[in-house]
Amino acid sequence: MQQFDIKKIAPISPIAHAQSNGTVKWDVVNGMKIAVEFASADIEQARKKVLGVTDVSCFERYGVKGPQASQYLADREIAIPANPNAWTLCDQKTLVLRLGSSEFLIEDQLGGLACKKLAGDTMRVAGVYKVPRADAAFILSGSEVLNLFSELCSLDLREKSLSAKDVIMTQVAGISATVLRQTIGGEQVYRVWCDGTYGPYMWDVLLEIAVELGGGAVGLARYQN
Amino acid sequence: MILRTPKRAGEWVDRNKKINFTFEGEAFPAYEGDTISSALWAAGQKVLGRSFKYHRPRGVLSLANHDVNVLVTDGIDTNIRADVVEVKDGMVLTAVNTSGGVKKDKNSYIDSISPLLPVGFYYKAFHTPRRFFPFWENVIRKAAGLGVVNFNYPRILKRKQHSHCDLLVVGAGPTGLTAAYVAAQAGLEVTIVDENSQAGGSLSYNRGGVHSNLTELNDLLSKVASQPNITMHTSTYAAGYYPDHLIPIVSASGITKVRAKTVIVASGAFEQPPVFRYNDLPGVMLGSAAQRLIYRYGVKPFNNGVVVTANDYGYRVAFDLLEAGTKVVALVDLRAGVNGGICAKDLMRRGVKIYAGHCVYEALASSDKSSVRGAVICAYDDKENVALTDNKLTLECDGIAMSAGWAPAGALLYQAGTGMQFDYEVQQFVPSRLPDGIFAAGKVNGIFELDQRIKDGTRAANEALRYLGLQAPQNNIEKHVGISPSHPYPMVPHDKGKNFVDFDEDIQIKDFVNAAKEGFDNIELMKRFTTVGMGPSQGKHSNMNAIRILAKIRELPVEKIGTTTSRPFFHPTPIGHLGGRGFHSHRLTSLHDWHQTNGAVFTDIGAWKRAAYYPATGQTKEEAIQAEAMVVRKSAGIIDGSSFGKIEIHGPDGAEFLERFFTGTYKTQKVGGCRYVMLLDESGVVVDDGIASRLADDLFYLSIGTSNAAAVYREMQRSQQMWQLNLGLVNVTGALGAINIAGPSAREILATLTDLDLSYESFPISSVRESQVAGVEVRLIRVAFVSDMGYELHAPMVQVPHIWNALMEAGQKHGLRPFGSDTQRLLRLEMGNHMPGVDTDGLTNPFEIGADWAIEMSKSYFIGQRSLTILAKRSLRKRLVPFVLAQNFKGEMPMDCNLVVDGRDILGRVTSISYSKFIDRCIGFAYVTPDKNEVGSEFQIRTDNGSLVTATVVKTPFLKNQKGA
Repeated sequence: MQQFDIKKIAPISPIAHAQSNGTVKWDVVNGMKIAVEFASADIEQARKKVLGVTDVSCFERYGVKGPQASQYLADREIAIPANPNAWTLCDQKTLVLRLGSSEFLIEDQLGGLACKKLAGDTMRVAGVYKVPRADAAFILSGSEVLNLFSELCSLDLREKSLSAKDVIMTQVAGISATVLRQTIGGEQVYRVWCDGTYGPYMWDVLLEIAVELGGGAVGLARYQN
Repeated sequence: MILRTPKRAGEWVDRNKKINFTFEGEAFPAYEGDTISSALWAAGQKVLGRSFKYHRPRGVLSLANHDVNVLVTDGIDTNIRADVVEVKDGMVLTAVNTSGGVKKDKNSYIDSISPLLPVGFYYKAFHTPRRFFPFWENVIRKAAGLGVVNFNYPRILKRKQHSHCDLLVVGAGPTGLTAAYVAAQAGLEVTIVDENSQAGGSLSYNRGGVHSNLTELNDLLSKVASQPNITMHTSTYAAGYYPDHLIPIVSASGITKVRAKTVIVASGAFEQPPVFRYNDLPGVMLGSAAQRLIYRYGVKPFNNGVVVTANDYGYRVAFDLLEAGTKVVALVDLRAGVNGGICAKDLMRRGVKIYAGHCVYEALASSDKSSVRGAVICAYDDKENVALTDNKLTLECDGIAMSAGWAPAGALLYQAGTGMQFDYEVQQFVPSRLPDGIFAAGKVNGIFELDQRIKDGTRAANEALRYLGLQAPQNNIEKHVGISPSHPYPMVPHDKGKNFVDFDEDIQIKDFVNAAKEGFDNIELMKRFTTVGMGPSQGKHSNMNAIRILAKIRELPVEKIGTTTSRPFFHPTPIGHLGGRGFHSHRLTSLHDWHQTNGAVFTDIGAWKRAAYYPATGQTKEEAIQAEAMVVRKSAGIIDGSSFGKIEIHGPDGAEFLERFFTGTYKTQKVGGCRYVMLLDESGVVVDDGIASRLADDLFYLSIGTSNAAAVYREMQRSQQMWQLNLGLVNVTGALGAINIAGPSAREILATLTDLDLSYESFPISSVRESQVAGVEVRLIRVAFVSDMGYELHAPMVQVPHIWNALMEAGQKHGLRPFGSDTQRLLRLEMGNHMPGVDTDGLTNPFEIGADWAIEMSKSYFIGQRSLTILAKRSLRKRLVPFVLAQNFKGEMPMDCNLVVDGRDILGRVTSISYSKFIDRCIGFAYVTPDKNEVGSEFQIRTDNGSLVTATVVKTPFLKNQKGA
């Protein structure tokens, strides 16, 4: 039987199909091949200020649901939001999204290790159901981001309606997505997650509008520093 | 610009910016801010358009988008509403719906034969003799419609956006502006929308010869501008009302769907034309149109005018005409005994003769019918509504301004479900019961005096504040007293007709009478028979008069006639706006790039883009499919099945759930085993099928069809909500990909990548294993859908390309090649497997497809069981059977959906049919009557060209099983 070292084979971002046109610099982050640069730093910084779209599908993610999921996470020292449809930051480097009363999405930010640790625990526990995650994940930044959302989402995502720790599951561009507002490097951004198989479609839509509004694609490198 | 008046305060044109354009080949000057109509009228151009049906010359009627007398095209866009669209420098415009130009329209002869063309004539003519119908159809199609559709119209993106506010105010007249200001002061976030290019409503033009209104308007606008929490949208109309206060507002740039917490409708009222002979001549216009020309655009409506009125508003119009320099020859008032009023006396002092209790019997046309040369007036019996023509009098004039009353702009209120009642004090329908969170104010609420309208705006804002839980004072509004602003019946009968009610459709009073005589005497029936209100104006200037006429005909009070409700969008909206950006969401598997690189032709299945087949250079679709299928039969093929629905059922009640959800039994299913699942709806119709694999006592893994996966998962969630079993559902469709490797060499190829024992004994058909394939953790399912030697490999989506590549490499020496979803359909047909959605439809029950074996009726419950119990007692009406065509069949190949016939009787239809190169036979599935069910039975299929093809019922599979599979 032929032998394979699967660790040496880096899967590619689910969005990559839509990003292959033009000059893109790729790198492997968290074991996934991802677009880290679309243009010069100056151009990308300018885009970020107006409307930047960044693929962060490579962030480690862990999903779990079930009646014992809260306890399961608490036992592993994961801070969880007290209420559904809310999120919190665990150890400053891990987002914990409570999607329902008993469903969670956990995402390590760059440098976070919680998901890897949780994934390493393969024991099956009664009342705890692991949810494999294969999300396309985005950071949307800049002054025009609400203008973009106004075309893609029927909900009010302004600060007065979407409070700082709210998570909403809604439709963005006609598909199911999870949205929250987050601060990264002192900058307020929106985060969007959708099923990875919709990733190229979502990227195309986001980018089309972003470019119209004066923004564009921003590589992950702009957030790595 | 022969009718341009000196500059005056508050006008909308910028006299410092002159522009030029052409209309019908003639050059015209204009100022920036002019509409197309105002610029043409200022230049003395009277005939601006032709009517839809009789091609009568038309000019300005409302100058407010409440009629479509003037529709023009610039060669790219059509049906441009010239009354409200701003003229641009260099525009080249022509009127629509003419043959040979607006002045000498060759089709104007239709007007002279109009007695032959009453409403509804086309319902009664042309259908016989039948052979002439195509000819007439062609003629009618050419005559129908106004502008010509430009099929090369450029794709200009019109964004569709969402916005949110505390309060949406519809209408930026004095009422709406006041309401917005009061609400904003209380802290609400207010959006105010108005169809006009500038805010102010009637304050901007209804001055009655004095300028206090302008001062009031400026004060109001300053107040509104001082509130940062007010967002004003002008040149934007609120197009409809949808539940929970969702109101799309439409502007030139697109549609914004406004979700408001509360709504104030201050949309005002449409002025209604009195009806008399030739009331449609260019030069006969509504009083408010004359005022708009004067104060917004600095244009004198005419030089010598007559005002015909039936309310006090007409007197204000007369003062405004005098202010513009028009000589007002006379004011004709339908009402008797009004000479004593202050306004009348003032007018008389200024030399205007008042004819109270008189009507305009007819307008007189100039010799070329392009303008007014006079008005014939006579006494009017206000009680019987008849003209007393004994002492007719002709007044020379070049224009007539009409003011007879109003109709509420209440479309949004109707759509929101507002109860309306007829208020005789104002002769108008007014809201009597408003839905929660909706408020009406101003003219639409039956309040006409300016000071009361402003108070009504405050009252509505305060009610909106209280609705939102805020404190606000109570306000009382004085009801209208005195003479009604609308006349109860401003119609002047005339023996010769041409007294128009609906200018869009050239509908006259006699048309209503005829409709009623034919039995169409209900407002809904009359609307459809006469087409009143069905033109582009959607009844804005005609519906109220139509209701009054019908009430008169039926001798009923107006409120007994009722009103019609315009459906949203109540104002015609371009298709491009409705289309917006156009989102076509789709899913791609992680192998999409591989398929693309290797020449796949893609097809849409559900939300997915799937590789349908991979044609080699010069290969047709059919050749590619047969070649791919042949490889699967002789060696092995590989297909990307990542789009299959994949759902995990975790928990101790998983088997119980499956038994309730599907037709089969699962409690006895062993770990490592797979069972067929079939989902029915409550009526016993087959919805979907698939495979349930038991991975552990408390874990089932379900794989189902691509198209229905989302719906099935949704239904599972819904069922779990009801049943509350101890389990969790996890949809892993996007997280896991799948590959099916099938064919006699499949086992040998796969064996090189896994140490799992793949022998039949260890891993037989309908079993599941978890192992590594090419170093990746994979769920392997032994399936026999396209071949009796096949393995489905389910693995994390991102790792599927690695497994695929490893398989392709390992299968190289066996000639392994990919096959697409179109080939899969042929392969499963050869295997005799039917597919839900292809071989079933929305009425098919499992007995009709021979799936009785998959149903365990002895269970206490499953979805659709009750219906099956009933269906089982009935005799079958159809049966799906496998069939073949004759060996070496050479005739026209039947196609999917061709009918199975017996003479003229339809017995069923073909659901799947294909030639199989491997079997060298045409094979398929068809529904037939149960008596044709037996093997060897023959039936006939009628092809598209009408030929009959004989088919013979056979057994499945169509091919022999492989040894050792």
